[in-house]
Amino acid sequence: MNATCSPSTSAPATSGVTESLRKPLYNVNGSTDAYEVRVEMPGVPKSGVKLDLEDGILTVRGERNATVPEGMKALHRELSPLSYILRLRLNTPVDEDKMSAKLEDGVLSIRLPLKEVAKPRQIAIQ
Amino acid sequence: MKLIRSNPNSLSRVSDFDEWFRHPFAGLPSLSHYFGNLGEVFPGVTSDKLAVDVHEDKDNYFASFEVPGVKKEDVKIELQNGMLTVSAEKREKDGDNESSYSLTRSVSVPDGVNTEAIAAKLEDGILTVTLPKAEHRKPRTITLN
Repeated sequence: MNATCSPSTSAPATSGVTESLRKPLYNVNGSTDAYEVRVEMPGVPKSGVKLDLEDGILTVRGERNATVPEGMKALHRELSPLSYILRLRLNTPVDEDKMSAKLEDGVLSIRLPLKEVAKPRQIAIQ
Repeated sequence: MKLIRSNPNSLSRVSDFDEWFRHPFAGLPSLSHYFGNLGEVFPGVTSDKLAVDVHEDKDNYFASFEVPGVKKEDVKIELQNGMLTVSAEKREKDGDNESSYSLTRSVSVPDGVNTEAIAAKLEDGILTVTLPKAEHRKPRTITLN
């Protein structure tokens, strides 16, 4: 399962524009019928999440709305205002139609159900 | 507004290490767990420190903490001796294993905050504590007679 999702090193999808992004902390858990990816993206509202699966690469983008409201002065800064990007290369066929994701308390959970062919099966002895 | 580390006895270097570990190995999913649990392994060394931003406008101070995956009921905010302490209990489910660790941070509350009216909200994994300035601390203009 360690090899199922590996960080992809493909070129950024957006070209021409330079922007600073950072990689979020994430976890991948696998079971026999699905993989579950949890990505920590504090500060990202639901509308700021973009998920995309193309050529076996899962791209997760989270736009942070950390812009300081008008008239506010920063006294101390530790949190990064950068938005998030995570690219994972999947080497297992995933059922794209049944993919689902939810955002809760700043954590995005993505469920990637495996295609039938990739599921383990038992062969009965005759 | 002055900020104080949650554990004054801990080596300040520990937090630097934490930063250092987090970035180059951010791709290792479970590494942050080990460091998050450091406080349990070596009591008194450190528990993970919550990062904080402090902002100010003319009526309030705002302290924002990053607490992804933390539920409202697992956040504790205390005000004692002029220190605002935020503790968040983070529970993580890893298949059948459940682990939890706590994150904490103390911020000294500036003079002239109306402590009765401190409010907090949790949204998208960001906890924002609003500390309203007391009336007499707000800027005001004095009209000439």
